[in-house]
Amino acid sequence: MTTKPFTSGLGKNAVVITRVADGQWHALHDDLVVGRGYAEHRPDARLFVSIDAWHDTTFDRLAEAMLAELPAPLHTVVDEADIQLTAGWRRAGFTIRRREWECVVPTDPRVTGLDEVLPPSGVTIVPAGQADEGLLRAVDRAIRDEVEAAVGWQSMPAEVICRPEGDTIVDPSKYAVAAAPDRYLGLIRVVTVKRPRIGLVAVRADEQRRGIARALLAHALGTLHRSGFAEAWTEVHESNRAASALFEGIGARQMSSNLELVR
Amino acid sequence: MTKNKNVIEVEGRVVECLRSAMFTVELENGHRVLAHISGKIRKNYIKIMLEDRVLVELPPYDLTRGRIVFRYRN
Repeated sequence: MTTKPFTSGLGKNAVVITRVADGQWHALHDDLVVGRGYAEHRPDARLFVSIDAWHDTTFDRLAEAMLAELPAPLHTVVDEADIQLTAGWRRAGFTIRRREWECVVPTDPRVTGLDEVLPPSGVTIVPAGQADEGLLRAVDRAIRDEVEAAVGWQSMPAEVICRPEGDTIVDPSKYAVAAAPDRYLGLIRVVTVKRPRIGLVAVRADEQRRGIARALLAHALGTLHRSGFAEAWTEVHESNRAASALFEGIGARQMSSNLELVR
Repeated sequence: MTKNKNVIEVEGRVVECLRSAMFTVELENGHRVLAHISGKIRKNYIKIMLEDRVLVELPPYDLTRGRIVFRYRN
């Protein structure tokens, strides 16, 4: 355990920064915890940090202590609307690595314009819950390998659910797929807890620009609309122009944005 | 209300989603606080929505503010 006192401006007594466990720091003032810092590895091995503090001075001191002990590069995530927190990380030397828009997507085919959309010739849409698990895992693996070889998953919307190593499909019943006679060509994952979220829509690289993603969306959004959901949510990385165009084209609206910062 | 490691934590319900990544949370005692999301919740992309039941940490110096540190599943 390491401790580092400083004067916080909170009172006459100093705030003490203490590393209380591996990847965990506390800021104490008069025996009260007035700030906390955490560091933990994502499944992709990147190290993410976070700080919760009631005052900027405490934030800065926690950041100083953590950055002195942690290896670069360090990552963090902030809501872009949270100006105070974003400013704190900027003071600590973090810069924007990527921006991800959170979008609300209408489901009504009269709004999306997807009511007439059909899959291309030779392709059928297999509804969620009916996909062959082996073929589903094969197309998921193939697409992930293609992305990894191109922009990389670090540049794609965050996937932070802990899974057994190598397993990227938690619940096969959540996927609808676009199927050719011999293999699956693309997939869409929609999970509804309180509101439907489109977690992934993807097509094999050699099958793109055929309208398969639009057909998958038409199917998934139409299913949600018939189930009584007027909207779904998704996240789109701002540099992913194909995804942005796809969702903007069906009337999706940007509601908020998350920034991934790095130092 | 619980006091854990010198931290005041209270259960509440999200009654308003505001701009600037803030939320109004009504606590068990009817008191309302302006709360933001903890870094751990944000880091894990956990979404906070209207009517969510949450655990809020209150600062020792200002009981009108709060920090959402946990979202209950229902």
